[in-house]
Amino acid sequence: MSTLVKARGLTKRYKDTLALDNVDFQIDEGRIVGLIGPNGAGKTTALKAILGLTDFEGELEVLGMNPKRNRAEIMKEVCFIADVAVLPRWLRVKDAIEFVSRVHPRFNEEKCREFLKKTTVREKARVGQLSKGMIVQLHLALVMAIDARLLVLDEPTLGLDILYRKEFYSSLLSDYFDETRTILVTTHQVEEIEKILTHLMFIRQGRIILDADMESVAEQYTEVLVTPDKADGARALGPLHERDVFGKKLFLFEGVSRERLREFGELHTPSVADLFVAKMKGVAA
Amino acid sequence: MDPNWNDNQPIYRQLRDKVVAMILEGVLKDGDALPSVRSVAAEYQLNPLTVMKGYQALVDEELVEKRRGLGMFVREGAARKLTRDEREKFLAEEWPKIVQTIQRLGLDPEELLRTVHKGDEK
Repeated sequence: MSTLVKARGLTKRYKDTLALDNVDFQIDEGRIVGLIGPNGAGKTTALKAILGLTDFEGELEVLGMNPKRNRAEIMKEVCFIADVAVLPRWLRVKDAIEFVSRVHPRFNEEKCREFLKKTTVREKARVGQLSKGMIVQLHLALVMAIDARLLVLDEPTLGLDILYRKEFYSSLLSDYFDETRTILVTTHQVEEIEKILTHLMFIRQGRIILDADMESVAEQYTEVLVTPDKADGARALGPLHERDVFGKKLFLFEGVSRERLREFGELHTPSVADLFVAKMKGVAA
Repeated sequence: MDPNWNDNQPIYRQLRDKVVAMILEGVLKDGDALPSVRSVAAEYQLNPLTVMKGYQALVDEELVEKRRGLGMFVREGAARKLTRDEREKFLAEEWPKIVQTIQRLGLDPEELLRTVHKGDEK
């Protein structure tokens, strides 16, 4: 298994603020990594650095190369869907396909057309006539037809309705992803991707505060539903977070064994959303 | 379709249980192909590794076999094996509790048996 992205001491300063503060991480082939963080935590900056779109301090290797110096080379094998529509409104769908096919050596025109046939996007249409969901489908078609090793998705389903959102990830899983591909995705819609991910990264104020595979997340973090009489005992074990649920207390523990917690009540594996809230405590304005 | 996952058990385990239920109900018969890992992953929005792990659990229990290049298939006798296991489990775990209940409530076993046979005639 090869390493696609490796960051050591990655730092990015915007004037007097640190968008990335001495960050280390690594992304290996075949993973689907969720990079989750509140607005302004440094997610997009991290993606930009990987894509060679911004300067940075520290070390960063993408496919073994420096993304700033070897951007053209890297972009042959790295694809990107941004949260902002970048296709010009006057462009026809078929011209977009032709354009990518001319500029990108690893683009498979046939595959792109096949995929679009399954959607309502017609090749004669102009981008300006397409709905937001259809534009994302066009983007996805263009990107999935590229034989890339790393796909970077920045809030890919932002503003889409629930049907298009589900369709988006279904398409990725059925027509694109396999063990030779790697996906890095940022999103605020944690619920819809949490079972797709192999790895989870939380970023907070420019620092990575959680970086683990989903199995160890499930082992490491446990929620216990405790009746009020046992609450003090559970609290003594130092929970990360507690909240009230139907007259009981729901405690979230980090690194406390399930055997130890069992006596206090019903055990659950926290959802990524709940874990996120617990980990971000004290950040929300 | 809403898979209704619960958070007490790993998803792969729940996926395994779903397939087992389908075999027991006869929805999947001996020799039938399981849906591909890709299609299950896309349908339920799961990581393909999770699906693979669930399928692997079924292979380990000798309920399903992998045919190279073709996918996963229900093995001959899988339903019979499962029914046998379920019967053993019922007799070992649930039946003693039922017997206890019958005794506690002072029910007449003969009478109860008659209601079971009545169910047969319907």
